[in-house]
Formats: sequence, C-alpha cells, structure tokens
Amino acid sequence: MIWMSTITTGWGVISMARIDHTFASRIEMFGGIDFTACYNCGHCTAVCPLVEENASFPRRMLRYTILGMEEDIQSSLDPWLCYYCGDCSETCPRQSNPGEIMMSLRRYLTSVYDWTGFSRRFYTSRKWEFGSIAAVAAVVVLLFALFLRPTADPSGLINADGGVKINSFVEGMSSETFVSVIEIGDWVMAAIVSFFLLSNIFNMYLKVVVRNRKVSPPLSLYVKEAWNLVYHFATQIKLSKCSDRTYWGLHWLLMSGYTIMFTMIVLFLPWFQVEKIHPIYHPQRFLGYYATFGLLLGLIVWSVQRIRKSGEKHRYSHSTDWLFLVMLFLTTLTGILVHIFRISGMVPQTYYTFVIHLAILVPMLVVEVPFSKWSHLAYRPFATYFYNLINSARMLEEKKKK
Amino acid sequence: MRNRIAVYICHCGSNIADHVDVEAVRDAIAGEEGVVLAKTTMFACSDSAQSEMIEDIRENDIDGMVVASCSPKLHLFTFRSVAERAGLNPYNYVQANIREQVSWAHSDKPEQATEKALQIVRMAVAKARLSAPLTPPSITSENVILVVGAGVAGMRAAIELADMGSKVYLIEKDHYVGGRAGQWGNLHVPGVKGEGLVKDLYEEVAGREGITLFTGTEVISSSGSVGSFELTLRRSPRYFNPKGIDTSGSEFTGKVRKAVEACPEELDDDYDFGLTARKAFRHSHPGQFPDLPSVDMQACTRCGKCAEILEGVDLEQEEQRVTVKAGAVILCTGFSPYQPQEGEFGYGEIENVISLQEFRRMMALSGSGGRLLFRGRPVNTISYIYCVGSRQLEGDNKYCSRYCCSAAIHTANLVREKFPGVRNFHFHRGIRSYGKLEELYEISCSEGDIYFQSRDDELPEVIKEDGETIVKIADILTSGRDIEVGADLVVLVTGMVPRDNSRLVDVLKVPVGRDRFFNEVHPKLKPVEVVIDGIYIAGACQSPRNINESMNSALSAAVKSNSLVSSGEIELEPTMAAVDRSLCGWCGECARACPFDAIVREQYEGKEVAAVNEANCKGCGMCLPVCPVNAIQLTGSSDAEIESMIEALIDLK
Repeated sequence: MIWMSTITTGWGVISMARIDHTFASRIEMFGGIDFTACYNCGHCTAVCPLVEENASFPRRMLRYTILGMEEDIQSSLDPWLCYYCGDCSETCPRQSNPGEIMMSLRRYLTSVYDWTGFSRRFYTSRKWEFGSIAAVAAVVVLLFALFLRPTADPSGLINADGGVKINSFVEGMSSETFVSVIEIGDWVMAAIVSFFLLSNIFNMYLKVVVRNRKVSPPLSLYVKEAWNLVYHFATQIKLSKCSDRTYWGLHWLLMSGYTIMFTMIVLFLPWFQVEKIHPIYHPQRFLGYYATFGLLLGLIVWSVQRIRKSGEKHRYSHSTDWLFLVMLFLTTLTGILVHIFRISGMVPQTYYTFVIHLAILVPMLVVEVPFSKWSHLAYRPFATYFYNLINSARMLEEKKKK
Repeated sequence: MRNRIAVYICHCGSNIADHVDVEAVRDAIAGEEGVVLAKTTMFACSDSAQSEMIEDIRENDIDGMVVASCSPKLHLFTFRSVAERAGLNPYNYVQANIREQVSWAHSDKPEQATEKALQIVRMAVAKARLSAPLTPPSITSENVILVVGAGVAGMRAAIELADMGSKVYLIEKDHYVGGRAGQWGNLHVPGVKGEGLVKDLYEEVAGREGITLFTGTEVISSSGSVGSFELTLRRSPRYFNPKGIDTSGSEFTGKVRKAVEACPEELDDDYDFGLTARKAFRHSHPGQFPDLPSVDMQACTRCGKCAEILEGVDLEQEEQRVTVKAGAVILCTGFSPYQPQEGEFGYGEIENVISLQEFRRMMALSGSGGRLLFRGRPVNTISYIYCVGSRQLEGDNKYCSRYCCSAAIHTANLVREKFPGVRNFHFHRGIRSYGKLEELYEISCSEGDIYFQSRDDELPEVIKEDGETIVKIADILTSGRDIEVGADLVVLVTGMVPRDNSRLVDVLKVPVGRDRFFNEVHPKLKPVEVVIDGIYIAGACQSPRNINESMNSALSAAVKSNSLVSSGEIELEPTMAAVDRSLCGWCGECARACPFDAIVREQYEGKEVAAVNEANCKGCGMCLPVCPVNAIQLTGSSDAEIESMIEALIDLK
C-alpha cells in the first residue's frame, strides 16, 4: 500500500507537520462540502483514471485538507492534475465528495498563487465578486460615454452591402482611428491580464518547484520539457483520460472557439473588425461562426447540467462557477446580437449592444483570467509542465546516483 | 460380552468413499467375532439411515453398535440417541472415526487408507464387545443460586433467576450495589444514564422476594459441589442499622449530610477516581444503592461525631459469618479500569493527561453549558490515545478491551454535544466500533473529529514543550508523516483488566486465563460455563465487554444455571473414575493428580480408601496411571476395553 510507506511518496519531503484544524472551515468557503466524514479508505485514489506513481490523489489531498497541512497543499500539483470526472465522489463510501475537494483546492490554490490577495476575496466574498465585475464594467461604459459617444447623425453609417459600418460611430473619428483606439485598449487589457497571470504563474513555480522540493532541474530540462505547455494547452489530452470522453470533446470545442475568438480580437483586430461585411465563406466569418458555435454549445450543455445537477461534476456549483458561465454566455450572446444588428443595418442597436458586449467581455477577462476560474487555462498546462519537469529531474538525479 | 453387534460403514457422500474402499472394509468386518450385521451407508447421519438402524437393532436383537464415519465430536450423540431410541443402551454404541483420521488424512494413499480404516473399525468392534450398559447417576440439587457481584450483570442475572423460580443470594463486596455502570453518566443508548440503569435494576431486585441481597459480603470458603455447594460468607458491618428509622424523608437525608460534614477523616473518593474527596463516614453516590450511609472503618477513628448526629450509627457492629447452600454459583465480579503506569503516554507526569474513566467521571460530574475546564484552564482540543493497556506488544495484556473504541468515540460525541466548539483528535491503531456502534463513529467523523492511525510498534508520544502538551504520531493515514497535534487535554483510552479475584479463585477453583480473566469452557459451545460444574461466569469478569454484552451473558448464565438446578436433580455422565475399594490402600496419589478435587478419603472395612465424588469427576483419567495398585478404572474406558482394542490392532497381521 502506498500510504503505509513511511518514506516519501510522490515528492513529499518528510518534515514534522503541525495540524491546523481551522483550515477545513476555510476550504469550505472555496466550496469544500461534507468532506470530514472521510475515513481514508482510498477508494477515490483507486478508481481515479489519472493517478500515476508520482501523482496519487485525491485521498492524500483530502487528508491534507482535513489536517490543514497548508504547505503540503500549496506545494502540490495534484489538484491541477485532476480533471474532475467525479468517479471518486461517486465511489466514495462516505459521501465525502473528494472530487469537489479537488475543485475547491484548485480555487484555493488560485487564490494562493495570486500575490495581490484579490483572488481570495473574489472567491470568498460575494460582495467582492460581483462588485469587482460591476466596477470594471462601469469603467468601460464610462470610457465610452466620455470619449466614444455615438454620432447624432446615423446617416452614412450604412455600407453599400446594407450592413452597419461598425468603426464609424464616433463623431469626428475615422474608422482607422476607432480600430486603433479599441486595439490599444485590447493591448492595455492584455498587458494587465498577462502581468497578473504570469506573475501568479511565477508564484506557482516558486511554490511547487523552487521551494519545498528536493530536486533542482537543470536549465536544459526546462527547455526540453517546454513542449508540454503547447501540447497540453492545445490538446488537453489529460482530460481525455477521464471516464467521460464526450466532456473532453465539448471542452475542446469551447476552448478552441474561445482561443480563436481571443486571437482574432486581440492580435488581428484590424483584420477582424472591418466596416465591410465579408461574404459568408470568408475565413473571418467562417472562424467567427465556428468560435460562436463552440462557445454556445459548451455553455448551454454545461449550464443545463449544472441546473439539473447531473453527475458529480455538476452537482455542486460555486458562485464563481456560475459567474463564469453567465459572463461568457452573455459575452457570446451580445456578440451574436452585434453581428445580427450589423447585417440588418440597425445602427443604434449595433452601437449600444457593442458597448454592452465590451462591458461584459472586459471585466470577464480582466477579473477572471488572472484571478479566478479562467486562470486554469494557464495553470493546467503549466502544472503538467512542472510535473514532467520535476519527474525528469528526479530521474536524472537517480541516474547520476547509479 | 456383546455378541450381536451391528456395524455401519459410512460413505459420507464421497468424503470417505473416494479414498477408502468402504465395501472392502464392510466385507472384512462382517466375519469379525460378534458381528452379526455389517452394512455400508451413503450418509449414516441422514434420517433414513437412522430409521434403518433403529429397525435393524430391533429386528436382529442387536446388543452393540459401531458406526464408522466422522469424528465423535460431530455425531457421537446422534448415534447414541439412535441406539437409545431403538432400545439399546447408548453406552453400547462406539464410534469409529474414519473420515478425519483416515480419508481426509490419507487421500493420497487409498490402499493404506482402507487398511487403516479397517483397523480402526476393528478396534471399535473390540470395544463394543466389552462395552457395559451404563446408567447415568444423578444427584439432588438445591434450586438456589448464589450470584457474586451486584453490578448490572449480577443484578440482571438475579432478577431473571428469581423470575424463573430459583431462590437467589445476591452478594456484593461493597456496601453499595451498582458496580461501575453508575460511574459513566450518559450511556450510548440515548437518554439512558448509568445511574438510572442501576436504579432500575436495584428497584427490581428489591421488589423480588426470591432475592436475598447481602452487601459488604464476600465468599470466604466453599465445600460441596454442583447441586449442593456450601458457601461461607463474611459480612462486614456497615456500622449503620436502619431498623426502626425512617430513611426515606428529607429529614434523614439532611442528617446524613450533616453527619458526613461532621466526619473529620477525609480521603480521595475512589468512586470518582480521586477527582473528589469523601469522608470516612459516607453516603451513597447517585447510581449506588441502597440509599444508606456506611462507615469506611479503614479510615474511621471512631470519634463518634457521626453517631451524635445520626440515629442508627453503630460503630460497635461486628463482622458476621453466614453459611448458605446453593446448587450453582454465578460469578459477575466485573472489571477494573487499566491503571496506566507512571509516565505511560505522560500519565502522572504531564498534568493534563488522564484516563478515559477519569474523563468520563469528570464529564458525568460536570454540569452542562459553559466551557469545558480542566484544572481551571479551558479545554478546546482533546486528544484520545487508544489501546492504552490493551493489545500490548510488550506487557501481558495482549487482548483487545473491546469496549473502549466505541466508548472513546461516544465520549467525544458527548463532549461535542455538551461543549460545542471543542475539537476531538483520535490516535488509534485501527478503529473497532463493531456492529451498531459503528453509528457512533459515523457521527464522530461527519461532525469533524480527526482520526490518526499508528502502527503497533510505532505508538504516539505525548510530550510537553514550552508549556504546551503535544501528541506526536507517525500517521499511517498521511503517508507515515510525523504529525504534531497540540492538546489541551490528553485522554488515555484505557482498557479493562479483571478485578483482583484471587480469594475467589482460591475458594472456588475457578480457572483463570493467561489474560487473568475467568475462563469459559468453550467460547461458542459453553460460553458461560467453567470447567467446574455448577459455576457460571457472566459480565466483564470473563473478558472485556460493554454493558449490553454483560447483560446478554448474565441472562445466559441465569438460564443455564436455572435449567441445571431447577428440577432438583442433576444427571451426570457415567463415564467417570471408579475405585476398587478392596485393592485401594489410600496413598493419596490419585487425589493429588485430580485437577477437579473429585477424590476424597473414606473409611471402608477398617481401612482408608479413595472414593470418587461423582459430582466433581469429569472422567479425565488423570488418576489412573498414578495408582500404584491399579485400583482405579475409568467406567466406559476400562483397562479391558482399551487392551482389547490394542489386541485388535496388533492382531490384524
């Protein structure tokens, strides 16, 4: 039995641990539910399809949570290596919801990696959660109201093809300038988001690789294992090892749609946001429709499943789960509306929906990507990267010893 | 000499017939001297085979019978009963074991197996030829039962016996009945307190005419045997005579309280494990009965202050001896909590380390509400260390004390209910909350108690560091990590040890196991009997157990003892030692060899000879080989029978 061993299992480094029984109640704020009934039988670990020799979960994480061994949790990658199929919670003879504990620990770790402390507030306080979203939305609306007010005269805003000229709303501002303004806004937002996200990832790196580990990977390994980042981001192949493979398909569809949309908006805005309405087979429209379809399908299916609480994965929903779904859904919906109003030549509707669209999209990205659920798009591939990095480093060291 | 013997060779389905040629055995035995009938049968124990045997015996005027089948442990009594039903004396039946001793043991050598089977059957036939028809002797018995120990088990047994019509002497060493159950406060049955349980039982005992209760009483000597034990009891004085005094009113209680206050001699109250003090002149605790004062003469200085206040105090009372006759005895002497050694998990050295029993008593004495305090300091975290004094790797107590896992968990649940916010940590070696008690564990887990598990050879440690008491454990459940838990109170979950019963063991010759608890004959077949006929055991004096289990065994012992003595006559096994008085010259060797005190000396035609006390003899045969003049025979296994069997065995070639 793995847990009978008195030497290290996984990468745990033996040290005297002082328990902290108040930790369990803190984790409850991140969504942990009824987990104290656990009697350590290990069914959860036995049924998990993702468990490997050096990644044994969720039993150990659940145990650490109950005992409040915060350092061990913070230095562990296990929560990120779990993709929540829910088999563990289904099998648990004590209904201790190990799957939901792993989910809660991901939320907790997100807040731990975040050095600003905002993430913790976002996860544990409804006021901060909704307040921050509303504040950013208000800034967006305010910026439009101050600097990008619509022209009083809507004539001349209709294209020859009957569609609305989306970049010519603002009086006295040329189409090119408008796109540049939005693009600069994009870059500013991307810079803010990247700064926080990358610094949080660096924090994660410090906790899981640098501190509390007995391995020090050589620089060459960092380069050698870097393919993991791209590969796992693009394929999410680990998720496919969960028992429910359709979930992986759906998740991939949504993720690819989101990535395409994000890339078009941030990197290729002058190409994406043009006055002219392209013919239907144009890649701009084609890719846009693909992305919209992927987003919508995923969002609708998961919302229904969360409402119906179908399966362990969707039984419990933290308020941030819902916020995430709703924000993305509203972004998609307003995006679709902007598109419909545009091709129908409805000028004021197009403008106001566009503003609303940005007032949802921007807070969603600024708040959720570095500080909340969206961050998993980075933490998951990085976790796999770090995991393989540490494993390879250990193997290297063992080889040297021999 | 039997010369019309029937022999049955059993196939036992394929169990015997697959490896032993039963037909060949039958053919060979058919020609044996005295055998008039030899048959094989598929299942000798089946109803149809039994009916056939009965018919055979009747029609062929059979006077001896052999069944070659399985072990006599399994079917000796089955076939004895067949013989009896057919009108044949059951002791003319002999069983030959050709299954356990032949077919199962030699399945690889069928030829030799058949040969051995034949030898065994021939020996059985030889024995049957010489077998004598025996009649079981019977002795008279008193329908009176002495119950030793008036705790919950003893009282329960006494009540049941009285209801079944036996007269009961219920004796209790202490001046109060109730034993230990009253000490524990809330029991795990919701709404039931130990003291309430004792009160109910005491009232039932008091309401039954058939029960005579002696408090302050011990057995000091015993003679006789099953059916008519003669027991001498010593009654130590209570130093209070309630005769002619109204002891029910509040006036009396008030006077008793004053008398207690007036008593100058103060000592630790052992009923409260020293948590409180008591006086030499003392009154009963709730959960102790009768509700009368008594004087602890070991502490009393006979100053007489109590007698000045309370009428009825008589410091001149003297010890009495009473002799009673009883057909059977039930021992319900209970247990003592294991007393941790100095320094065992910090006990006695670190001030906030106490035993489970002490903690239970503390809980029972403390009021509800407010905060849990220990020595004036608030308790927010409690660590329970399990198996203290039980399952010892080194040390004598190898046994599991059985009740303590559930008791500790129940205590933790009680603490949480009574003092919300207190956290419980359990350091165990495998939780054994068996049966319905699992529910307690379930509650404890889901309410957030934390469990740690250690290996038997890597026990937790209790240390004191910077004024804080810390429990350290290499926790199996956390990959063997060393974990520290700070504790405001450490409770050692101490197990059970038997009370000091040395006098009783001496007087009644009750067998004691390696664990020092009383030993039953067989845990399944004779669970409340000891090897001494007429003596029964019940409750925690037999092995560690909880109140439920003590009650069960008390009822078993009551029913078994009542069924033994209630008819007034006890039938004995006839297979016992018999002395040829003409040969015997009393050297005493046999009496010294007898483990059951069954051999006595008597006068016969002007000389001293040995005689067998039939009630005590078990037919073990220990006395036979030591007799220098071969004056003792074992009825049913006489020299002649055994020798003829040996002859049959060596004759075969």
